[in-house]
Amino acid sequence: MPSEHKHKASHKKPVTTKKKVVKRVARRRLAVTKRALPRYTLNPNYEFYDELRSLILKSSPAEMDSMIKRITNLGRVKLAIISGIFLNQDAGGAVADLFVVGDDINKDRLRTFLKALEAEVGKEIRFSLMEKEEFEYRFGMFDRFVRVLLEGPHEKIINKLGI
Amino acid sequence: MSKSNKFSRYSLDSLFGSKTRVKILKFLFRNYPNDFDAKDLASRTQESSSTVKKEIDLLMDIKLIKRK
Repeated sequence: MPSEHKHKASHKKPVTTKKKVVKRVARRRLAVTKRALPRYTLNPNYEFYDELRSLILKSSPAEMDSMIKRITNLGRVKLAIISGIFLNQDAGGAVADLFVVGDDINKDRLRTFLKALEAEVGKEIRFSLMEKEEFEYRFGMFDRFVRVLLEGPHEKIINKLGI
Repeated sequence: MSKSNKFSRYSLDSLFGSKTRVKILKFLFRNYPNDFDAKDLASRTQESSSTVKKEIDLLMDIKLIKRK
């Protein structure tokens, strides 16, 4: 405000004002880009790095109770099984990280849910979905996918099928 | 099994004194050696950027994380 008054009072120094403004804008721009820049990563030289790493990675990668709630809200979910990354296993071992059996699954809600889940886990999630009828058929005929999943390390977080 | 998972998660959050701190560490360990800015970390952990910034300062202070 005060500079504007000055500007009105004396028309002698419009150049200085303009310069000042340009400078100020430039400085502000610099500050903004600078503030957005710093990137962070773990410091492997931290005294307890290895110990902390195993402690942190041992814990479950996603919040299970909120996950169960969100899966339940996807539709008429009968069965939900976690494996792979959710049990802190190597990616190669399991056929899927998350397997859901249910009918009338809301596709939009499913997409949002998976996106949020991948954000939380920090990795891509291998996801499979089956309708109840298809699952029961495959379960009954010892389908390979179903068998590998159920015979390997897994956890049923929703189970209304009594399997 | 699900119960034990649940408790171990809660106990880590309590032990570390901050849910956001545990989330950030989890994310960084899972994605090491990649580097992220504060905005990335906030959106990937789905926590508020102000909380994330506070935790970054703390983790920088004890030198558990570093600038790239």
